[in-house]
Amino acid sequence: MNHLQTLLTSLTLGIETALCVIVFVRRVQRVLPFFAIYASVLLAHTIGMWTVYETFGFHSLTGYYCYWISLLLNAGARSLAIAELCRYKLRMYQGIWGLVWRLLAGVSMLFLLHAAIDTWGQPNRLAIYSLTLDRDLDIASVAILAALLLVHNYYGLSLEPLQRIIAAGICLICAVDVIGDTILRVLFTGYLSPILSANSPPLWSSLQHQFERVEGIWGTIHLICFMAAMGIWCYAVRKPIPVRIEAPEMLPAEVYRELSPAINLRLSAFNDRLAELLKP
Amino acid sequence: MNDFSIAILLAIALFGVLVWLLIPKHKSSRTAPGSFHPDVFGALPTARHYGYFPQVRQALSAADSRYLLETAPPHVAKQALRERRAVARRFLRGLHEDFSNLAKLGRMIAALSPEVSREQETERLILSLKFQILYTLVWLRLSTGTLPLQQLEHLTGLVGRLATRMDEAMAKISALSARPLPGGLGA
Repeated sequence: MNHLQTLLTSLTLGIETALCVIVFVRRVQRVLPFFAIYASVLLAHTIGMWTVYETFGFHSLTGYYCYWISLLLNAGARSLAIAELCRYKLRMYQGIWGLVWRLLAGVSMLFLLHAAIDTWGQPNRLAIYSLTLDRDLDIASVAILAALLLVHNYYGLSLEPLQRIIAAGICLICAVDVIGDTILRVLFTGYLSPILSANSPPLWSSLQHQFERVEGIWGTIHLICFMAAMGIWCYAVRKPIPVRIEAPEMLPAEVYRELSPAINLRLSAFNDRLAELLKP
Repeated sequence: MNDFSIAILLAIALFGVLVWLLIPKHKSSRTAPGSFHPDVFGALPTARHYGYFPQVRQALSAADSRYLLETAPPHVAKQALRERRAVARRFLRGLHEDFSNLAKLGRMIAALSPEVSREQETERLILSLKFQILYTLVWLRLSTGTLPLQQLEHLTGLVGRLATRMDEAMAKISALSARPLPGGLGA
């Protein structure tokens, strides 16, 4: 690692530690246990990778394997945090939650299936597997959060500030990761693929410097965005979090059963009349 | 366009949409169903613009148009007809608001219901999308002058009946509730 990367990694470690401390001091684990686990996984990932790099070296095979495997562990922990975020407030609205969890589960399954198929077709290298899977999981995460926000908007529900800020941080990380993973994937499977597969040291040595330079620049951008996201989360959990959110007062089930078909009928009649207007 | 460009565009677009969705809408009158203001249903009239139809009908009547075309200079008549169409478009926008309020009422009731039917919700979503398309088409025809203004009367008649029935429905909600619902609900 160069000086800049060491500095940025130290800063990341500092912010991750601060986040973990705030999360556990504020007892966020009582409200959002999977988010607390995710924050811990991030810290463990950074400490673990630092230790591995210090012990085995930055370009070692152990470092390579540890990095790509921990990347997938991160993605898994983040997915659980997102699932929890989806359930956090919507579960209060029993009817909507009963409808929406299936929709969100369907969207998740669709993207996971896509990720599996996409990864399956890649050359047999751990880096490509992890990159593809991580990128597709990032896209899935953003899509699920988008679906969650659309559902909230559609039903006129407001997101809790905590939920909104955590979602914004996850989106930032995912969007930056999608770009980064795609750049690396294109390099590995496209432009650099012949060089890597032909095992031609002269060609690689001529490109290695430029490749590492670009990788360094991207790594810096990535770490800055990552720190920004964690800063956003620190801000979100700076105040004590209420263990219970106010439950809405529900209407009797008969109201929906009687009114919903009536409203739909009126809306349908409205559309029919509009369609009539368009007839020649 | 390669894989890379698509992914970047997708990431930017998704992030943009999310930022837009995440920004709190201060100006909006959005109210979370869980925290209804006592007048929330009162502030959600199902057919407010319908009430102005007699005046609009008078302003847009065919007799008036004929009179204008026969008596006024061509450029004045043309200008007047253009302005009438603008009035009709504004009225149509109002009707759109009435439709939106009714659909919103349906969604609010769904949000506060312990059981929700997938079929009903899907149907309402499709109806709303269909309405958006039809509304755009009617608006375009009205703007291009290919839609007779008198036809709007039929549409407004429907909204009027709808308003009456929704008032009856609101009264039913109050009657069905275990305790008195927030003020204005059954009014």
